Amino acid sequence: MEAGDSAEAPILEGQGLVRTYRLGSDWVFALRGVDVAIARGEFVVVQGPSGSGKTTLINLLGLLDHPDAGDVRLDGRSVSGMNDDALADARRDRIGFVFQSFSLVPVFTAEENVAYPMALRGVPEAESRSRARALLASVGLEDRAAVRPDLLSGGERQRVAIARAIANGPEVVLADEPTANLDSGTAAGILDLMRDLNTGRRVSFVVATHDPRVAERAGRILTLRDGQFVDRA
Amino acid sequence: MAWRNVARNRRRSLLTGGVVVFGFASFALAGGFMTQSLEGLRDGTIRSGTGHIQIADPAAFAPGADGSLEHPLRQAADVEAVLRSDFDVADVLPRLEFTGLLTNGSRSVPFVGVGLDPVPEARTMDHPKTLVEGRWLRDRNERAVILGTGLASSLGLKVGDTATILATTRDGTLNAADATVAGLADLPIKELDDRYLATTLGLASDLLVANGSVTKMVVVLGDTGRTGAALRRIQDNLKVRSIPVAAKGWEELAPFYRQVRLLYGGIFGFMGIVLVVVVLLAAANTMLMAAAERTREIGTLRALGTRAAFIRRLFLAEGIVLALAGCVGGAILALLLRVVLNHSGIILPPPPGATHGMPLHVRFYATAYGAGGVAMLATLALASWIPARRAARMPIIEALAHV
Repeated sequence: MEAGDSAEAPILEGQGLVRTYRLGSDWVFALRGVDVAIARGEFVVVQGPSGSGKTTLINLLGLLDHPDAGDVRLDGRSVSGMNDDALADARRDRIGFVFQSFSLVPVFTAEENVAYPMALRGVPEAESRSRARALLASVGLEDRAAVRPDLLSGGERQRVAIARAIANGPEVVLADEPTANLDSGTAAGILDLMRDLNTGRRVSFVVATHDPRVAERAGRILTLRDGQFVDRA
Repeated sequence: MAWRNVARNRRRSLLTGGVVVFGFASFALAGGFMTQSLEGLRDGTIRSGTGHIQIADPAAFAPGADGSLEHPLRQAADVEAVLRSDFDVADVLPRLEFTGLLTNGSRSVPFVGVGLDPVPEARTMDHPKTLVEGRWLRDRNERAVILGTGLASSLGLKVGDTATILATTRDGTLNAADATVAGLADLPIKELDDRYLATTLGLASDLLVANGSVTKMVVVLGDTGRTGAALRRIQDNLKVRSIPVAAKGWEELAPFYRQVRLLYGGIFGFMGIVLVVVVLLAAANTMLMAAAERTREIGTLRALGTRAAFIRRLFLAEGIVLALAGCVGGAILALLLRVVLNHSGIILPPPPGATHGMPLHVRFYATAYGAGGVAMLATLALASWIPARRAARMPIIEALAHV
């Protein structure tokens, strides 16, 4: 297990993670006993070819899926015994997500999308709205708060998604191919934003990608191939 | 959020909402029509002569009893005193029922007759309204009769003619009395119209040598809704005084009303089930499509930390929003259609056993609106439940990967 160079205890760990999927009559290993540890404030890039297990690893670390073997530990505590609601609460309070396809709620405005995780946590509406506007301003979208996702550009949508991901002040943000649907200029802007949040707010980022531009900004690079780490930079 | 999701696919929501509007309006109108019809039949039954409560010798209520002086009402004065002392009783109508033959001199036809007190009867019953010719009886001792049009026709009798009534007296001898035909009544049930004869208590008593005896006391209450309570109280009071008579309420005395109510219940119950199934299928289709289209979005909401229970509630709320909107629309439609139908002048065919049709009238019946609302809400909630459960149970990564 590795946790970068930080002396702090890892905020998120995966220990011996195994995940298999059924493909027709065969079972396919997506992860074959992977160990990974993410320290507070790290910017980790997980790279590898398609089918190498990047998304599976993000899903397991994000408590969206259960490993067939191994364990995920959040702030040193195993999540294997948590029920569905406890896992949902942990995702809500401690983990942010950025998806390749932005995944904004189409019936919400940008501001409402960002306020939604806070509302789930019980933050009063006025406060969550106010904080959402501040977060949108921090990603350069203060004048797009009242706009619905279908009227935003791809880059704007991903900025809203990032603002939503950090809305509840998570320790770690997991991003799965966050620049895949963006042009070079927009992708660079998104990466700069994530790096700024990483350094400015000490939010850990784990970014699954095969975009070399993302890897250039990484503090640590993990390379997956056939469900195993082959190189740790 | 639920409202916005409903508004997201307007055409589909409008279609489903339209089905709810139709379902609710059907419930409200059918309920109003059924209530109006049953209340009309109830009031008609009571005012046609049945009254709210009848008091008679127990044997007179036995199946096959002909209501003659064979079973006179004992202690009639005591009975009347008990009845008149009850605060729910508006009027007490003594009756002397009998059977016999009516003759025009050359032909005789059997009749079912009643001697009554014309003034209070006219005040509380619909007898005068049934007259198509002539007039109602004037006083308790007038030597006159009212005949059903069928009975008069079979004997060729007209208003002003004199007919002879033949009947068996209390001691078994045959007696006869002449009477003037004062009026002709058109009764809704043909079998009754062909045999009906009403006369005054005085003439009937003389004919039967009844010496003031009656066979029945008919009680008219101020409020039909208090029949049950008044009946129990009257039965208790009669029992306390050891008066050997029986008292029955109008519903027990009107098997036709009970049959019609059962028939209506069956018809409208079946119609209600069909409506609920139609609304259920339409709404379930909408909700299933909505859930399928929003699979990824549900995955995102779950990933962000939304609990499964919230997803279930969200879909239920969408169903309820559709139901509420549909109920409001349905109520407006029902109220508008009610006005149109009530002014349409449509005459419905006569019910079984009756000779007259009745105008279509749909009453505003709050219970039917309430039942429609409950049925639509329950149906939409049920229609939402399956997709809601499915959406909430779907593994998050499957939902996120859904294309």
